[in-house]
Amino acid sequence: MDFDWTQEQASFRSRVSSTIEGSLPPDWEELAEEGPASSRMTEFARSFCGRLAAEGLLTPHWDEAHGGSGLDAWHQIILAEEMWRVGEPRGGQYMNVNWIGPTLLKFGTDEQRDRYLPPITRGEALWCQGFSEPGAGSDLASLRTAARRDGADYVVNGQKIWTSYAGLADTCFLLCRTATGASHGITILLVPMDTPGITVRQIPSLIGEGDIHEVFFDDVRVPQTARLGEEGAAWDIIRFSLINERLGIPRYALARDALDRSVALLGQRGGFSDAVMLYQASLAAAQCEAARLASYAIVSDRIAGLPAGADSSSARFATIMAERSVAEFIVEHCADVLVAGSPFFKMHHQRAIVAGLAAGAAEIQLNIIASQVLELPREAR
Amino acid sequence: MDLRLSEQQQAILASLDGICRPFEGSAVSAPVFAAVSADMESELLRSGFLDVLAIPELGSVTAALVIERLARLPLSVEVAASVMFRPFLGNEPPYPVCLADANHPHRPVRFAQEGALLVRIGETVTVERIAPGNSGSERGGLYAYPIGTVPTASAPAPLALSTNEALARWRAGLAAEAAGIAAGALAVTCRHVSDRTQFGKPIGTFQAIRHRLAEAEVRVRGMYWLAMKAAASLDPADTALAALWAQECATRIVYDFHQFLGAMGMTLEHPLHFYTYRLKLLIGDLGGRGASGTAAAACLWPQREPTNQAIAGCA
Repeated sequence: MDFDWTQEQASFRSRVSSTIEGSLPPDWEELAEEGPASSRMTEFARSFCGRLAAEGLLTPHWDEAHGGSGLDAWHQIILAEEMWRVGEPRGGQYMNVNWIGPTLLKFGTDEQRDRYLPPITRGEALWCQGFSEPGAGSDLASLRTAARRDGADYVVNGQKIWTSYAGLADTCFLLCRTATGASHGITILLVPMDTPGITVRQIPSLIGEGDIHEVFFDDVRVPQTARLGEEGAAWDIIRFSLINERLGIPRYALARDALDRSVALLGQRGGFSDAVMLYQASLAAAQCEAARLASYAIVSDRIAGLPAGADSSSARFATIMAERSVAEFIVEHCADVLVAGSPFFKMHHQRAIVAGLAAGAAEIQLNIIASQVLELPREAR
Repeated sequence: MDLRLSEQQQAILASLDGICRPFEGSAVSAPVFAAVSADMESELLRSGFLDVLAIPELGSVTAALVIERLARLPLSVEVAASVMFRPFLGNEPPYPVCLADANHPHRPVRFAQEGALLVRIGETVTVERIAPGNSGSERGGLYAYPIGTVPTASAPAPLALSTNEALARWRAGLAAEAAGIAAGALAVTCRHVSDRTQFGKPIGTFQAIRHRLAEAEVRVRGMYWLAMKAAASLDPADTALAALWAQECATRIVYDFHQFLGAMGMTLEHPLHFYTYRLKLLIGDLGGRGASGTAAAACLWPQREPTNQAIAGCA
């Protein structure tokens, strides 16, 4: 057990960090506050990710044959931490490099890889994730958006909701039903968002402009070649995807930075002295570090070739606790920063509300931990 | 960075498993508050696990692993203080070793008994042999440790260890011990809720219980990792954070676990109390959560002068 970074890992981190520093515009914090899916952020993310691609820092953990440098999962998490620490300047493209790309690499056809991977590795693509529906959120397997075969095509009808990035995305990673039955009847289609019959409506949100949407599918015709994997194979594929996504969002890095900055601010004001305040700040720091180490433990296992399991749910829940603890500290002790302070604090506060929902609700993570880590008897239904 | 166990660490834990096996259920047979075992103590002294820090290539993480593994037993065995302090106590030091906080002289001291070695940590670090009559020893108290109080020093000698180093070792050991106790408590609680049937189902199928146990799992995992990192670095901030998280989590899980055991958790038949009553005492060590949090803050954000630099451990 070794808690030190190698020299190579440390210099990779400083390379990432200085690239970010050299690429962010002077008004970066205002930009980030607009939300990860705003049109200005999406436009900036395209140029930023293009620069990362040129520096070999967009997909360094992918294999060399597909635009990566073959670096290991430590580099992936170092990269993600440095991105999250400043508020994730990759915008929605973080999904491409974390799980959409790796999922296409593992399950896609040659044609799908040739079509979709190059724009990802160039930093140009933006995807949205067509998962939740009005009647299928945490109970995803009950989704009803239907894909009916018609000759060489599928015809898709239904509705998705709370879809991030849908307003500006090029392609949708769409879950739809091709047969009755719970999870076994679900299939993935890769659907260009300019396909006739798709209507997107923005939902005003707490996280900023353009973050969540309703997406309607009315007789949307999609060729069968757009299917990822076999019919009915969606469940196994998205399980792989979600494990990757949970590891790729180190919110604790942003939370820890927000905590350090709020303490620095309180210190400048001579207001970091109350014993309860000190205790609460340390508690939030402990939670950030516990989440960080739980994530590192998963990376260690992945590098050793061990299968990913429910530990990612535990790390994810630890991250939620950390994120909330920091947000509460700031609200309690320096509430004014959310009114007139640096936009950084507003951005952190807006994103903290999502921590328990994105990539699977916190309660679903607890269910997974209870069944798969603690091996408690299955829930009563 | 690699958080997997080394082959050597795996071998040590496997060997410890062998030593622990005969004692896993031994405490349950006797209706007592504190389960001690002279056999286990002799086995530990004989096997050399208490001197794991004397082997430099094993490192202090291995020491924390030994503490954590043995704390999972329902027994109260003095391990943490010996493992963390024996290298500074001369050749073949006596057993057990006790730790006392000079700033809280009336606080119960675990394993305090005549003849034990007492390390007292305040402005300086001293060591003394507990003299006859100098320990108000109470084996039948409400904590699942043998405890005593040693308010006055008896012929203390200085120890070649700074206050900060001593505090870091105490906190890292405490965090590893609490992590092991909490893991043991979680395991016996999960076993109970899987077996106990009410309303025609194991009570572990009910979400009100599952979610709280799952949250406890996340907390216990955090206790483990923060303790291991604290042991690895013996850094003042890391060790204070690990102690804080251990003490904080202990307050959150002790009553939940008893609640899930229902009346069974009130009996002396079930081993849960051997875990939870040890945790209760650890919650208050070194000034408790407030002091651990203040100490961590003084190290993490050193803009502020700590009120008591010695006990903050970040002078």
